[in-house]
Amino acid sequence: METETYVDSMEFKVQELLKEVRLEYSSPLTKFVDDTVSAIKSAIDKIPEDLQVTADWAPGFVRDIGADKVEFKFKKPKSVEIGGSYSIGCVVKPDVNVDLLLRLPKECFHEKDYLNHRYHAKRCLYLCVIKKYLKSSSSIQKVEWSTLQNEARKPVLVVYPAAKLAEVPGLFIRIIPSATSLFNLSKLNLKRNNIRALNTGGVPQPTPKYNCSILEDMFLEENSKFVKKSFSGWKELGEALILLKVWARLRSSIYVHDCLNGFLISIIVSYLVAEDKVNHDMKATGIFRATLKLIATHPLWKHGLYFPLAGQNAFTEEGNERHNSSTRVNLAFRITCVAYPQLQDEVALTLRCVEKFRDGGFEEIFATKIDNAAKYDYCIRLNLKGNNEVYALGFCLDDECWRVYEQDVHCLLNQGLSDRAKFIRVIWRNTHSEFNVENGLSGLDSEPLFVGISVSSVEKAFRVVDIGPNAEKKDEALLFRKFWGEKSELRRFQDGKIAESTVWESEQWTRHLILKRIIEFLLRHHLSLLKKDIVQIVDQLDFSVLHGGKDPVSYSGRLLGTFEELSKRLRSIEDIPLRVSSVQPLDSAFRFTSVFPPEPHPLANKKVDVARLQNFTPFSVQSLEVMIQLEGSGNWPMDDVSIEKTKLVFLLKIAESLQNNWGMTCTATEEDVDVFMDGYAFRLRILHERGLSLVNREIGRDQTKWVSSDDKKLFIRGQHASMINGLQFCYPIFGPVVRLAKRWLASHLFSACLAEEAVELLVAYLFLKPLPFNVPCSRITGFLRFLRLLAEHDWAFSPLVVDINGDLSQNDEKEIEDNFMQIRKAYEENTQNRSKAMFLATAYDKASEAWTRCSPNPLELKRLVAYARSSANLLTKLILQNQTDSLGWECLFRTPLSLYDAVILLHGDRLPYLKRLLFTSELDQGKHVAHGNASNAFHPFLLPADMKGSLEQLKTKLMVNFDPLRCFVGDVEKEFSNRLKLWYDSLGGDAIGLTWEQSKKRERKEEELGGKYPVDLLRNVGELGKGFVRDVYLIKAPKLTN
Amino acid sequence: MKKKRSREKVANLVETKEEKKRDKSSKKKRKSKEKNNAIIGIVDQLGDEEEDHFQKQNGKFKKDRKKKKKEHSSSGENQLLVEKSKAADKDEVYEIPSGDEDCSQGMKKWVIEYHQSRPGLKVLQQRIDEFIIAHEAKLEQERKEREACLTEGGWTLVEHHKGRKKTTEFESGTTVGSVSQAAVEGKLAKKKSKEVFDFYRFQKREAKRNELMMLQSRFEQDKKHIQQLRAARKFRPY
Repeated sequence: METETYVDSMEFKVQELLKEVRLEYSSPLTKFVDDTVSAIKSAIDKIPEDLQVTADWAPGFVRDIGADKVEFKFKKPKSVEIGGSYSIGCVVKPDVNVDLLLRLPKECFHEKDYLNHRYHAKRCLYLCVIKKYLKSSSSIQKVEWSTLQNEARKPVLVVYPAAKLAEVPGLFIRIIPSATSLFNLSKLNLKRNNIRALNTGGVPQPTPKYNCSILEDMFLEENSKFVKKSFSGWKELGEALILLKVWARLRSSIYVHDCLNGFLISIIVSYLVAEDKVNHDMKATGIFRATLKLIATHPLWKHGLYFPLAGQNAFTEEGNERHNSSTRVNLAFRITCVAYPQLQDEVALTLRCVEKFRDGGFEEIFATKIDNAAKYDYCIRLNLKGNNEVYALGFCLDDECWRVYEQDVHCLLNQGLSDRAKFIRVIWRNTHSEFNVENGLSGLDSEPLFVGISVSSVEKAFRVVDIGPNAEKKDEALLFRKFWGEKSELRRFQDGKIAESTVWESEQWTRHLILKRIIEFLLRHHLSLLKKDIVQIVDQLDFSVLHGGKDPVSYSGRLLGTFEELSKRLRSIEDIPLRVSSVQPLDSAFRFTSVFPPEPHPLANKKVDVARLQNFTPFSVQSLEVMIQLEGSGNWPMDDVSIEKTKLVFLLKIAESLQNNWGMTCTATEEDVDVFMDGYAFRLRILHERGLSLVNREIGRDQTKWVSSDDKKLFIRGQHASMINGLQFCYPIFGPVVRLAKRWLASHLFSACLAEEAVELLVAYLFLKPLPFNVPCSRITGFLRFLRLLAEHDWAFSPLVVDINGDLSQNDEKEIEDNFMQIRKAYEENTQNRSKAMFLATAYDKASEAWTRCSPNPLELKRLVAYARSSANLLTKLILQNQTDSLGWECLFRTPLSLYDAVILLHGDRLPYLKRLLFTSELDQGKHVAHGNASNAFHPFLLPADMKGSLEQLKTKLMVNFDPLRCFVGDVEKEFSNRLKLWYDSLGGDAIGLTWEQSKKRERKEEELGGKYPVDLLRNVGELGKGFVRDVYLIKAPKLTN
Repeated sequence: MKKKRSREKVANLVETKEEKKRDKSSKKKRKSKEKNNAIIGIVDQLGDEEEDHFQKQNGKFKKDRKKKKKEHSSSGENQLLVEKSKAADKDEVYEIPSGDEDCSQGMKKWVIEYHQSRPGLKVLQQRIDEFIIAHEAKLEQERKEREACLTEGGWTLVEHHKGRKKTTEFESGTTVGSVSQAAVEGKLAKKKSKEVFDFYRFQKREAKRNELMMLQSRFEQDKKHIQQLRAARKFRPY
């Protein structure tokens, strides 16, 4: 039976992954590599013996590292051997390279060449000679410089063979010199000083980094052999190494020069073998987990990772080995004490994925890219190109100037941000493609320095006052003053304490900028950087949710106050038959997730001072839905129609009562009742529980039929509103992320595809199931992850379960799974069945009936995913790469109109909320089909002429929720829904995209006979929007399926 | 204003001419041109996807009709059509009037409809009262007709009258709302769940088989899933 062949799905996926990334050693490949290596060897053989080498071969390099006495006579290398991952069969695609270890001949070095960078200089000059002769070889295309683990004083050669192999494009060979037994090991003890220039007041300082750098080369071959021995004939171990490399490469915060690299990982795995922590029965995934556990528990940086001679204990457990007299090399010497906690955190997250996810977390561990843009909450780029400060003390002393600068920036930010930040990561990559050692090291600062900050908690990051030391502690206070400069002030606090402090005064809605201000201050004050060289990714997207230069969320406090008052008044109404028992807010403005929560309207008040009305008083006022429940009664009618009418009667009575008792203005249609209060318009709705049970009964009779009465919808919206409201209090950044997400969707004309509530659930998922990340703590990071979720979630095969209060039991989850399977089955049987392409399940809606039942359909979802993917890529690029203009950021919200079949542009000045329009759309392609003039029947603002007349008249002119776009879309859909599909922006865009629906052949035929299709059709559409439509363009005529 | 109009007209003319030329050149070229025209690069990818989509549709069609030829002819027709319509109105861009004098369509209509829908609380109240009276009368009428229909056939309808509907509890005098129904349903549901399902051996067997089938189908799903993942190159973490 088939079930027998069934393997664990994690195991299966891992095998697939290995197949994909492992380099197969086919005979053409091995021949290719061997040929190239022998070509290199023969090129080296051509170098004349005893060639005199002087500093002139690379004057810049020798000058910059400050070496003297570098002349030597060239001798051939003692050996040239393949090492590295190729030799153990663990090359991971796509970067295929072969390491060639080249042993430097002892004759070229003096005994004391470990001093003052002489070794480094000679090593480099030696490579210069080889490079020159390689270049003349015909089987070599080009030779470039690179560095060993980003250490500029240790360059390596990268050789690209002239021949190419189709299966491994871009294969190159790295030539890495090794210095086996060149120097006396005891001279390179970590406590010794080997750079004479480094001393404080005549006392030489130890140079551990420098010594390690030489020791590393001396042990290179030995270590390589040891790794080879550990891996030989052990397939699973090799697979585990490949998995670890894939895992690490996906995490750019730890796969970098001061943390992990491929070689170090193979050393760690070999250590595992030496320690007997793994055995031959273990599968690759088991070894993978064991390695992670080792990293998580072993405090590497305290002892150092030493390579054992076989049989010896690798980790000497006697503390601070770094400064111990040891002749071995700490292979983890590049891991800084800043990088290690980050590594541990990343490992912990991965292990949590293994535990938490049913399928072992394959997606999260091996298929999700955890780049710095998505990982860190705040990303900063410092442009330090040509900044002399960096190498004022010289390029290389014990450590290199770039590493020292990294540390300086880290210390500074660490001290300045204190507990606001959980992790601060400073990374400055030096290598770039045009690196040329002959010219020296000054060109290595061209890439910007990256700072990533993980915030500890939003509350701490948004803190306005930092309290420093007490004024009585003079020394500390002085230090504090020195650090903070003019920002520090002496303050008296409520508890009577007088202390130094820093205050970052700012309004509630700009609190996310506090961190930015602090960082900018610190960098300018201490490192005297210019403002233009500090690029902080914080507020670049804020423009999309501002309204007239201000975030409308700032009015939310007032809105909530007004709502409280309203609900008090409603509950105290006595002149209606049934009392109001509860009042609940429904609109997203009440839970801080509305892109544009309404600003109080001057006319929606009890008292209005007409004379003081401003010029730009909007004509429309946005209404906010509020749900009311009445006390129970048995006198309600039984049929749907009568229930709805009775509700309206109640609402009218309530409105009348409010009008009489409080003087509130009310207006009503046959569906809605709106009341004005304190500048807001509230739309009242009644939830009647009987309606719910009516629905349940209907469902009971016929499972497939979904009857959604108004009551059911109201009930679900109520549930959703209260859940999201609760969530929003736990995660203060949730609201801003939702607002950006909604704005993005709307500006790409997806308003009709994805319900507002569905967006909230998608974003909620990011906060509830953040793995393999931590919970996002900034709006841009959250937004990026939202885009990636949309783009990368496997919508066709897995439901998205949003468990807000953690109240889904195992049974519930099974039920959801079953519901999902049912839909999948229905879809497979009939691909025309297009419902629920996006399956969103929650505690209140286990079958995804509420928000994504009809839309997006599979085609819409496909478009949505494609847009999300390209926007995510663009955003990542904007965050990580050196781009400072705002244009790129605007592109995220500017939709390309050429991707529709036809486009309708609207009169921007006839939209109800002018300020919400981000860009005026223009089109310079397609066929201009029609042009329309603007109507005078509607203006977004009250005109002076309207101001005349009594207050009552003025109030009646005010339009509640009047939206010409919605009217237009409604009219078009009524008329042409079988031929056209509309894509629009309900938040206030001025463009509507049209795509042709696939209509039946016969219908189309008839239309053809009528002639002039599609132009006439578009004109008719334009006619429906008289006075509102500006231009109609035809871009692509419909394709005929006949 | 007028000047601008005319300039646009000219531009349009040029454009249509150009388009005509383009139409003659191969279809593929057109496609690529459209793609290049994408206002910004970010959604280039989408262009591809969209094309994919269309190609798929074409592919389907090809399967149905077997031959590519027809597609050519159809696109030819299509172009012809576009050209025809263009030829007809090449002269100018159609002008939509602002519609301020005409209330049947567009902005004016919406504004009027908006105001008409709000006649005031009193009027609405009255309308609803009328509606409810009419509605109740209608229901009554329907009931009577039904009865009449039945009696005509020589049958008398005997209906169970519940008597006074209890809205207050006898002892406490508290109002009882519409809960009862839900409560009854809840009870019913509970009762049902008490039924024993695996009383007979064959039931047990069936249940087991069902479970196995379920597992099997899930496995099938998994396999398909993985195939799809492979197709989507999900296993390539780069």
